[in-house]
Amino acid sequence: MVNLAWKNLLYDKLRFAITVIGVAFAVTLVFLQVGLFMGLLDNASVTIRHLNADLWVTSKNTPNVDFAHTYPETYVQRVRSVPGVERADNLIVWFITLVLPTGSQEGTLMYALEDFTRWGLPWNVESGNLEDLKRGRYFFLDRSAEKRFGKFEVGEYREIGHRRMKIIGASRDALSFSTTPIIFMNYRQAQEINPEELGGNTTYTLVKLAPGADPKVVKEEIRRRLPYNDVYTKDEWAYQSRNYWIESTGLGLNLGMTVLLGCLVGVLIVAQTLYTSTMEHLKEFGTVKAIGGGNWQIYNILGQQATIAAIAGFFVGAAQTWALKPLLAKIDLRLILPPGFAAIVFVGTIVLCLAAAMISFKKVASIDPALVFRT
Amino acid sequence: MSVLEARDVTKEFREGRESVPVLHGVSLKLAPGEIVALEGPSGSGKTTLLSILGCILTPSSGKVTLAGEEVDPRHPERLPALRRRAIGFVFQQFNLFPALDATENVEYALNLKGIDGRAARREAERLIEAVGLADRKRFLPRDLSGGQKQRIAIARALAGNPPVLLADEPTANLDTQVGAQVLEMFRDAAKSGNRALLIVTHDPKVRTIVDRVLSIRDGRILET
Repeated sequence: MVNLAWKNLLYDKLRFAITVIGVAFAVTLVFLQVGLFMGLLDNASVTIRHLNADLWVTSKNTPNVDFAHTYPETYVQRVRSVPGVERADNLIVWFITLVLPTGSQEGTLMYALEDFTRWGLPWNVESGNLEDLKRGRYFFLDRSAEKRFGKFEVGEYREIGHRRMKIIGASRDALSFSTTPIIFMNYRQAQEINPEELGGNTTYTLVKLAPGADPKVVKEEIRRRLPYNDVYTKDEWAYQSRNYWIESTGLGLNLGMTVLLGCLVGVLIVAQTLYTSTMEHLKEFGTVKAIGGGNWQIYNILGQQATIAAIAGFFVGAAQTWALKPLLAKIDLRLILPPGFAAIVFVGTIVLCLAAAMISFKKVASIDPALVFRT
Repeated sequence: MSVLEARDVTKEFREGRESVPVLHGVSLKLAPGEIVALEGPSGSGKTTLLSILGCILTPSSGKVTLAGEEVDPRHPERLPALRRRAIGFVFQQFNLFPALDATENVEYALNLKGIDGRAARREAERLIEAVGLADRKRFLPRDLSGGQKQRIAIARALAGNPPVLLADEPTANLDTQVGAQVLEMFRDAAKSGNRALLIVTHDPKVRTIVDRVLSIRDGRILET
């Protein structure tokens, strides 16, 4: 069967290339915007994802993992007594000030636990022994801090909370949404640094469930015993921590606008090129009608052309985006593009291109086949 | 017995609030294998009549019968099917699809008529050979001369073996020699295929192949 749609596209290669580039541009825009946003958003819950906790006990109405509030650390005993809890430990997450060798002060996000190894934090240790954190005024610093704090070496000292503390190890990939560098220190050490707020208090209680325990049941029981706290599963807490940034910063709306803009650009380009192409091929479409074709044959041609442009544009756009990935990584920008999202963009591209083609349908429907007799 | 018949056909076009009559009670009959020329000055209603006979337009009143089927103006959605089944068109400007080669132009018409695959390809190649362009079957229209394009257009019109051929000024864009060859091809297509052929023309040479000449003036037929 002769495919007039495909043949027409190949006959006018320049127009086809412009259409494909337009779609590819829109696809790349959407991929980059959403991919970078997801990469950034992933930082908001990266510690939650890597910690081996099944449930998180937080103070009431804690908005996200970074902005913790305190509550008595003895609550951990009540949690430990709940059936189905294998282990429960306190975790302090707190903003503190770190003084650099230059004398300048920088904010840092402290994660404090008694046993880091047990909870799998930090998950990517570059150097140092986590067990040594218990032995004195020591801390681990994530390598990502170098952007804000400058280069550092294990064995150097920094001033934290008016105390001179030694860097005894370095981690990688421990990031926060606000790009505040993360440090890891012993739980008691953290309380000594800020006894007014952290003395006798914690900010979270991490819960590891016993094998076979029902998280829902355990969660409800903890909630019953700690009515002035909140309890979340790992996924719920990760979702809330990410969602906080989407809603509170307007980033969600910003992203939505950019994605909409990308889609609009793609639709406009495809609609404009297809409409111009339709206008230029009016006599051909009139001929199709005169020799026995109907509107559907022509809709089919336009639909096929839009679909071909969408598929080619998607793959060119996707290839461009994937080619940019390592370049972005070099400037510490993570692009997260789950296959499910890529599939949504693929389907969306086809749907939008078909919608763009429909703008030409009205013109096609009004073609008078008698125009084939005009010279 | 006629294969194409028009009886008391009128056609009016609306221009704003005004109604402009173009055809006034036109009647004609074409028998199978008959070649008829339709001559007339510009604005006489030739193209409108051709459009009605070709089921592109419906008459305001009167009846058109094509290959035994009466055209029902209340159902314009049935016209494409009737065109596919009964009519082959040849246009002054050839109206070939520029992106399709010679064979594909014919094959596409066959596809529209419900003939697909290898059968369509074989039939298209046979028709291209029949119009003497076997050595040009993979050429795009831009690489063909005017006469060759018109021969492809004739091959396309013959696709699906329609009983009626309608040609609109088929020699207008051709030189004398090529025009004569094309006319010969038309005559052969009509006579050997027992098809009715109506040629709208200003070209006096067309008279050399026709059985009858009809003149149209101000929307009325005058047989000469």
